[in-house]
Amino acid sequence: MAHRLRTELRMSALETSPGRDAAPWTCPFCPLLCDSFRVEPVAGAWALTGTDCARARDGLARFEPAAAPAVSPQIDGIACEPEAAIAAAARMLAASRQPLFGGLGTDAAGARALYPLACRTGAICDPAGGAALMQGVRALQDRGAFTTTLAEVRARADLIVCIGSLPTEHYPEFLRRCGIGESRAAEVVVLLPAAAPLVGPAAGIDVVRFDGDLFDAAAMLAACVAGRAVGATAGPLEALAARLHAASYAVLAYETAQLPAQGALIIEAINRAVATLNQRTRAAALPLGGADGTSTVNAVFTWLSGLPLRTRATPLGLEHEPLRFGAERLLADRAVDALLWIASFGTEPAPPTVNLPRIVLGHPSFAAAVQGSGTVFIPVATPGVGSAGHLFRTDGSVLMPLRALRDDGLPTVADVLQRLTRALHGAEA
Amino acid sequence: MTTLRLRGGRVIDPTNGVDGELRDLFVRDGRIVTLAPGEAATEEIDLAGCIVMAGGIDMHTHIGGGKVNLARLLLPEFQRAGPNPIALPENPLELASCGGCTPGTLATGYRYVEMGYTAAFEPAMMACNARHTHMEMGDTPILDHGAYVMLGNDELFLEMLSHGVDFQRIRDYVGWTINASKAMGVKVVNPGGISAFKFNQRKLDVDEDHVHWRVTPRQVVHTLAKALRELGVPHPLHIHGSNLGVAGNIESTLETIAALEGLPAHLTHVQFHAYGTEGPKKFSSAALRLAEAVNANANVSIDVGQIMFGQTVTASGDTMRQHAQSKLASPRKWIGADIECEAGCGVVPFRYRDQNFVNALQWAIGLEIFLLVDDPWRVVLTTDHPNGGPFTSYPHLIRLLMDSSFRAEQLAKLHPDVAANAALKEIKRELSLYEIAIMTRAAPARLLGLKDRGHLGAGAAADIAVYREDADREAMFATPAYVFKDGTLVARAGRIEAVPVGGTHFVSPEYDRGIETMLRKHHAAQGSVNFDNIAIGHDELCSCCNGGRLLPAACFEAAS
Repeated sequence: MAHRLRTELRMSALETSPGRDAAPWTCPFCPLLCDSFRVEPVAGAWALTGTDCARARDGLARFEPAAAPAVSPQIDGIACEPEAAIAAAARMLAASRQPLFGGLGTDAAGARALYPLACRTGAICDPAGGAALMQGVRALQDRGAFTTTLAEVRARADLIVCIGSLPTEHYPEFLRRCGIGESRAAEVVVLLPAAAPLVGPAAGIDVVRFDGDLFDAAAMLAACVAGRAVGATAGPLEALAARLHAASYAVLAYETAQLPAQGALIIEAINRAVATLNQRTRAAALPLGGADGTSTVNAVFTWLSGLPLRTRATPLGLEHEPLRFGAERLLADRAVDALLWIASFGTEPAPPTVNLPRIVLGHPSFAAAVQGSGTVFIPVATPGVGSAGHLFRTDGSVLMPLRALRDDGLPTVADVLQRLTRALHGAEA
Repeated sequence: MTTLRLRGGRVIDPTNGVDGELRDLFVRDGRIVTLAPGEAATEEIDLAGCIVMAGGIDMHTHIGGGKVNLARLLLPEFQRAGPNPIALPENPLELASCGGCTPGTLATGYRYVEMGYTAAFEPAMMACNARHTHMEMGDTPILDHGAYVMLGNDELFLEMLSHGVDFQRIRDYVGWTINASKAMGVKVVNPGGISAFKFNQRKLDVDEDHVHWRVTPRQVVHTLAKALRELGVPHPLHIHGSNLGVAGNIESTLETIAALEGLPAHLTHVQFHAYGTEGPKKFSSAALRLAEAVNANANVSIDVGQIMFGQTVTASGDTMRQHAQSKLASPRKWIGADIECEAGCGVVPFRYRDQNFVNALQWAIGLEIFLLVDDPWRVVLTTDHPNGGPFTSYPHLIRLLMDSSFRAEQLAKLHPDVAANAALKEIKRELSLYEIAIMTRAAPARLLGLKDRGHLGAGAAADIAVYREDADREAMFATPAYVFKDGTLVARAGRIEAVPVGGTHFVSPEYDRGIETMLRKHHAAQGSVNFDNIAIGHDELCSCCNGGRLLPAACFEAAS
């Protein structure tokens, strides 16, 4: 067959697809990043259709559809021009010997802009929710994992075991995203401590209770799956292990933020059970976590530097310290001398009240929380509401596009950080 | 307007048939130009004693995307220099980034460019992970880049094939996927096998049925190869074959070539697919059989996937095979995943040992393939970074190929059975600089359909690597004297001089948009992302790729 070079490059059909104008909204307020709801302004508020998700509703309630927020940048609680705020922030960072970058509530673009600033200042970076993030990271670093994603669970799972909690309280759309309610849906089991109340919809969900703590339960479940005798109290877990073996595709789901301290040990036991099952049948883990940009910033820093968060660029080199570089401890010990706090979603914790120079890039509602002296506040756009953006879904494989609902006139975190980095060059020159 | 004259270098430019002539090159506006009579250069660099080649192009290197980032997460212990952290760069143009077998994207860009490479292609992009992959490549400084999107394990393709859906519909789906993910080509990994593993199948030979869809790898390979041919995608189907790493897998590899029935295709990291079952350990080199097949089938090109001794990590989409090999993990940990009903991944750290019989033989097999295939235009130099070894080992590999006495010295140090018996011992061929230039820039550019890359003719992009002539080819190729990217000096004697953002190569084949109706229904019924959120538009691609230039490659049009 003869071929000739096509000289004219035509725009692909996708570029002109009418569907692009009506791009669906991706909810940025939880790491399931649902994109099947409609949102529209009704009577001065955002109205959701297609879901009753409390988390989405609560996140959206922080935004008014009509007016841009009347919050300007502030220095020590006094309104100022953006340039003055940037300059003051640059001076704070230039004067700092060991800054902490916390919160890290931003999207991929914000993280990409943050890394050069972190390198320049030698900052330690730890997100809000860093402890939960590190439980997953440390378990991964220790033994690895075998995981799955939402489409696989929806299409393939015939048994979903939720370890320690039913995720619907914090992830209201969890069951729907797993295909529960559709034909050929999976059976759902929740493994709970004997005394724990079941929060969330119980209909159709099996509850398996165990005595003792989650460390024991996860370890015993892994042992039962491996066919090891674990004693008389393990009856329910042995039965659960048998169901896992009988399933053609079992999913073990857990919420990293609900695990106790040293939760990496529980994750490791879950991963061990999955690995054992995969010798004969099929199974996978599904971690739930990484909200408010946490897992996104972690992914971006990992690809840029080769190391995850809780890392800093010191004169010695890039140091990764998953235990020592926790933000709360560093603040409590006064081991840092300046704080840059990023919280662009509005759903993050408020900036810590500390007697340190503080720079806060945040949702306008945080203005009230940072009135003290030695504070620069710069309101920023929220990805998925005031700006476009990208966030990683909880399963880590899908980087979801976010669409702006409105133009609120606020700069993005990336905009501010790029300007701050340039200003820092000037402040140090 | 500045015109740079690169004066008096020995030019090796196989695309234009230039083999070592002393000649000047002129660079203006990022391109190689010829000067009109009377025109003069405004700047000049004396290249006496230097070899001048186009910038290197790595057409198969795992530089970005989900599994690469998982490898980084898995192995922080390798991001150290002995007991200390890896030192920060002294060069203010560089940002801190770890190297080794799981480099950060920043280090990936710096180290490739310092070595004279100016483009790299990620071979295993998942459509669902395309934005992430493009972001990582966009954060790989200086290098141009592109990616092949994976198909052939997505349930939709297998279902269409299984149900006997009209081929034109499958072809349109392939075209849609390339457009949606902004890919440069299509790769199939263990055809059908990644999906089969999700159905608990542990092995899939070329003519064996997928346990659920009842289609064979042979059908998958042939259908995809034909679809790409009809879509006019310049890079033909990129194939990671069945049974990777399995003794005796040469049969699968030869059957895969046969499945093409003459359609063009590129077989990747063939070293891992060229194993026989002879000898007391039931593991032997099948390099000769593979080379004979490649020599006899002009429709086939290969890259080698040479292994290098030492620590690395294997990052692959081949969940079925990676699960099987995870027991060999060193250190003993690994990551696997089933992903979005379209793909999978397996990340297994591995240490290749020169005193291990299998590893030593793998090393020899790779070199045998390089040296036994006649046509260098169909052999590309790779280590399948990081799977066979990190890309930073390329200069060493080039020396092994160019210097038979050095090769013999290295062979003699290996496991004694291999040192004594490998066919490699009898192969005295030494590749020339001309052949190395083909395998590292001219051939990959041609195989990818990049008309203005990989050569130094007038009109080509001024991606240029200048090496100081040195009998020690490893030293020579490790540290070029000058590297230019689009005419900008980006590295000088191993030091980064500028960090422009690289461009993104992709293709936009035409297809019948009627397929979108079916795809929309499919994603609503079985997917996890709204159909209208799947495709990446040009503006979004720009932001993902850090504002780098978009470099669309032209498609071919079938004509009777």
